[in-house]
Amino acid sequence: MRMLISLFLLAACAPAEIRTVALPSKSPLVTFRLVFTTGSASDPAGKPGLAYLTAMMLANGGTRDLTYKQILDTLYPMASDVSSQVDQEMCTFSGATHRDNLADYYNLLRGMLLNPGWREDDFQRVKDDAINALKVGLRGNNDEELAKEVLYQKIYEGTPYGHYSGGSVTALERITLDDLKEFYRSQYTQSHLILGIAGGYSQQFLESMKKDFRQLPENAGFQPRITPPRQIDATRVVIVDKDTRSVAYSLGFPIDVRRGSPDYAALLLVSSYLGQHRLSGVLYDRMREQRGLNYGDYAYIEYFPRGMFLLEPQPNLARQQQIFQIWIRPVEPPTAKFALRLALFELDKLCRQGLTQEAFERTREFLSKYVNVLTKTKRAELGYAIDSLYYRIPSYNQYLKTALARMTLADVNAAIKAHLRTNRLVIAAVSRNGEELKRQLASEAASPISYNSPKPEALLEEDKIVARWPLNLRAADITVKPAEEVFQ
Amino acid sequence: MIARLVFMAWSAGFAFAAQPVPKIFPYAVAQEDLPNALRLISVPTDYPNIVATFIVVQTGSRNEVEPGHTGFAHLFEHLMFKGTEKFSSTRYSETINRIGAASNASTSSDYTVYYTTFSREDLEAVLMMEADRFQNLRYTEAEFKTESLAVLGEYNKNSSSTFRKLNEVMTDTAFDLHTYKHNAMGFLKDIQDMPNQYDYSLKFFDRYYRPEYTTIIVVGDIRPKDVHDLVVKYWGAWKHGSYRPNIPPEAPQDAPRTAHVDWPQQTLPLISIAYKAPAYSDTSKETAALDVLAMLAFSRNSGLYQKLVIQEQRVDALLAAAPKNVDPFLCTISARVKKPADLAYVQDQVSATIKTFQEKPVDVDRLDAARKRLRYQVSLSMDNSESIADVIASFVALRRSPETMNKLFEQYASLTPEDVRQAASRYLVDKGRTVVTLTGPGGQR
Repeated sequence: MRMLISLFLLAACAPAEIRTVALPSKSPLVTFRLVFTTGSASDPAGKPGLAYLTAMMLANGGTRDLTYKQILDTLYPMASDVSSQVDQEMCTFSGATHRDNLADYYNLLRGMLLNPGWREDDFQRVKDDAINALKVGLRGNNDEELAKEVLYQKIYEGTPYGHYSGGSVTALERITLDDLKEFYRSQYTQSHLILGIAGGYSQQFLESMKKDFRQLPENAGFQPRITPPRQIDATRVVIVDKDTRSVAYSLGFPIDVRRGSPDYAALLLVSSYLGQHRLSGVLYDRMREQRGLNYGDYAYIEYFPRGMFLLEPQPNLARQQQIFQIWIRPVEPPTAKFALRLALFELDKLCRQGLTQEAFERTREFLSKYVNVLTKTKRAELGYAIDSLYYRIPSYNQYLKTALARMTLADVNAAIKAHLRTNRLVIAAVSRNGEELKRQLASEAASPISYNSPKPEALLEEDKIVARWPLNLRAADITVKPAEEVFQ
Repeated sequence: MIARLVFMAWSAGFAFAAQPVPKIFPYAVAQEDLPNALRLISVPTDYPNIVATFIVVQTGSRNEVEPGHTGFAHLFEHLMFKGTEKFSSTRYSETINRIGAASNASTSSDYTVYYTTFSREDLEAVLMMEADRFQNLRYTEAEFKTESLAVLGEYNKNSSSTFRKLNEVMTDTAFDLHTYKHNAMGFLKDIQDMPNQYDYSLKFFDRYYRPEYTTIIVVGDIRPKDVHDLVVKYWGAWKHGSYRPNIPPEAPQDAPRTAHVDWPQQTLPLISIAYKAPAYSDTSKETAALDVLAMLAFSRNSGLYQKLVIQEQRVDALLAAAPKNVDPFLCTISARVKKPADLAYVQDQVSATIKTFQEKPVDVDRLDAARKRLRYQVSLSMDNSESIADVIASFVALRRSPETMNKLFEQYASLTPEDVRQAASRYLVDKGRTVVTLTGPGGQR
């Protein structure tokens, strides 16, 4: 029934006008963000990675009139580029240019998105790149991102989010150029498009751009129904086994909270308090600062890929479904069990005690100002504005500041009670000798820790509790997979 | 004494045909030296509300001259967050949090930079706290030991990257004497020994965290006079030091070198081909010529990229970088190759390309396209106060002033095809070459 209603709404909302986010200014630069509200969740069965390959092909292939070489030659003196980003519900094409080059740049961008060349040699190259991004970029060279994506895959098994947006090796190998054309034809439509532009362009330019994009079909074909993931009945662990120096973890569970939800701001404040990405938080303080376990530990309530390369999240990764997540950066193998216990101990403390008035006010003050930092570039401002349109909220700064101003400690602690927990988790680890880590985690044996320097008595007392913190894991709940089998 | 205050007004504009060449840096700059030799660079921009402070310490892994102590410049990037008597590390981070600032630091071979981006009303709080930690940093031996483990954690999280390993082996192979032999992380054995080096850390701080090594860059919604007053107030009493490191010059390389990395997991083969190249210069043409050469010969619109990546599809990444370093470093060409059997072919293709550039001057149209690209790169990167400060910081690390950027761009403007040919002939020579390859299990060397 709900599906029928949403389909009806979609039909009723078929856009008479393409959705547009325009932020004109006096800047000599013009920034574009064209978002199609379709993505990997719309990959057909058996073809994970199709949305990704299609976007890669558009951004890294020729047009009907120009070969890819000609495109590169034209872009080169402008120092501009067209880049793509694909997530479950959004495909984004972005770039910026100096207004000196606006006409030439836009001609290329328009050609790439409206008149793709679909050349076989471009396709082979793009496909190779996508396969190597999985085999080498993710599986081979980035243990932290690997753990994070394995976590998402496990949580969303059997739902439209149940595969990595970059696909799997065998599926990518099978996908054909005709599959890409079909995906483009059914998904790159006016109804999916949000045109974003910022900087020193004219109104006339924007109008002609809108007119150009009316060439796209009006309405989309297949629309996935984004359903919540299955309930997790007991904590499960997936260990990815590879020859690596240290142990990387990501853990979490689904939450029914996203931008626009009543508890969004309160839960964002909680995650900031627990672990503000690359800046601070309880986990960072207890795990890195006090104990030197690793390089950092953070918490999230929204999908945040590539966090090891970024200080702030990238926009246009909007999702209807989100998870609460803790990221434990690589730890030395002898402390791997202790580190996991400590993260769960801190999460448990948070769930039982909530925040103090002081911590609440401090974190609220931080977020009220930090939101300005998130939108400090035109690129980011434009991206956030597009996301706000998607989530049907006012501008993100205004939305968050208003919610924070109204918020009380009771709201925050109620949000913790409603949404956070320490049981029924998924834990993903990337580790050498996965069977050994499995054996350790399946046993409730103590995992004491020793330090290279004196520690305060209170911390040592706490360590005694942490070293015996119940993991409640049975061997049957822990799967060990060779890295070569993940995303294969 | 009254601090010297110099205002330099630079004109905006990107017209290429006009002569003389318009300055690349379009903002008015206020630059001054305090009596203690601390330098202050203030740049008001029209981006509202936000201010970025970048504090550059001209100390990087290059300054780590004593054996067994690599990685200390980077370690300080961590220790600088440990607090002072007035602001404990907790109070420091709580204050930074309270003002909603984004604050971090990074270390390279030539410098360490501490950056904070915040709302303009917090300028005084930030300059005061930064002054306090630069002058009064305090950490116990226990805190030091714990932090050195976080550095090991950083090494660990980096260690799954093949490119990092390739670069680590490259500098270790190409250099014998100069401290560019190690990268900013330092050698693993030195990182593992860091917990035992508390006393050395105090010495390191005493040497380098001094006003003569430091430049404060403040960019954004500011008035230079206000910044000046605050910096004099909080940084004026900082004491000048006297230490000068004796960085051993590298002897000229007299024969090609090679090294190979066996990577334990499946991966695509990598090759890196590096040539000894001169130190950064804004008064001669070498830096500009090598930079343009790297662009024309190996960038995405080069003939070689077209051949290897687009047509033959034997390579999925081809990159080249000419150095902008304080001392002579490496001009490096790197490729990720799809099949191990093609490594030798790719190396031959790179050599053949270099030979062409040594023999025949480039087309002037291509040179002009590269010049255009360089200018637009700068204008596109400077789209907010933080990134403007970031660009300035990288040049301050070299010459302590953004003016060097204008001078370098004058060199680009004056380059002739023959200058590029000469740079190729003089520097991309066999005896100055080091080749490092990396392959996974079963990959041939």
